[in-house]
Amino acid sequence: MQIMRVADGIWHALEDDLVVGRGHAGRRPDGRVFVSIDAWHLTGFDQLAEAMLAALPAPLYTLVDEADVELASGWQRLGFTVRRREWEFAVPTDPCVTELEAVLPPPGVTIVPVGSADEGLLRALDRTIRAEVGAGAGWQSMPAEVRPRPAGDTIVDPTRYAVAAAPDRYLGLLRLVTATRQPRIGLIAVRADSQRRGIARALLAHVLGTLDRRGIATASIEVDESNEAALALFEGIGSRRTGSSLELAR
Amino acid sequence: MTKRPDSIEVEGHVVECLRSAMFTVELENGHKVLAHISGKIRKNYIKILPQDRVLVELTPYDLTRGRIVFRYRN
Repeated sequence: MQIMRVADGIWHALEDDLVVGRGHAGRRPDGRVFVSIDAWHLTGFDQLAEAMLAALPAPLYTLVDEADVELASGWQRLGFTVRRREWEFAVPTDPCVTELEAVLPPPGVTIVPVGSADEGLLRALDRTIRAEVGAGAGWQSMPAEVRPRPAGDTIVDPTRYAVAAAPDRYLGLLRLVTATRQPRIGLIAVRADSQRRGIARALLAHVLGTLDRRGIATASIEVDESNEAALALFEGIGSRRTGSSLELAR
Repeated sequence: MTKRPDSIEVEGHVVECLRSAMFTVELENGHKVLAHISGKIRKNYIKILPQDRVLVELTPYDLTRGRIVFRYRN
């Protein structure tokens, strides 16, 4: 077997003129380098890993499905350890299941539907929330999914957000991605001084109710296992754990 | 110039999500293969669901197994 670095961040394992394995390394927006290997057999995985680990500076990260025991153990054999776990949930939209039908925002708060938020207020809320929770449990990994923009702004597409609004400012947000058949809740957050008022539940009630009326039965979300508030919120509305991902680091 | 042999890639749709992060994919020719998802898809948080149209790379060792390397937008 021959291992070749065929481009920046790309390795191939060749056997009898066939590509029998591929390795990739890419830098996330937060600067961390994530690697992956797809090989048809263990020898290819090990040899690709050996070449990649020798060429790339530590620390390195990878994501695996926890149910993929063979792949996870392959990385762990190389010294990768579990850094964090994300639970994947199927979130029902039916109000009979979520019991969110009667949930309204607290007095003085209104829900602004997806696509109707004021962009300036939304960006201000996003910056506030990220500054508040940047060091909190379960959030240190969030920058991996967002592209940094000027002045700490992380809003890429303002039309994907529903927000909870007070008369003078926004208090909470929910990002909904509907590019596929199963919408994904990418983020739900409330600024610290407005938490424990039912704003997150009100945002969910609005967004999930809208999806239900459009005939969409389920949305998805990933929740860090250390984020107990989010786990309680989603399990409390009947969400079902469908799997888990492990982030491994070396 | 780097030698890069072609792989066998076939379109299909996901029939079933199995345990152990595996999927049953029915190919355009009607054959069913057992497939897992590629590391690149996993790294990018792309979810695979039943009925998704996908591109499957077949292993040269066993044409009943493969890996999902791309999910089309339905």
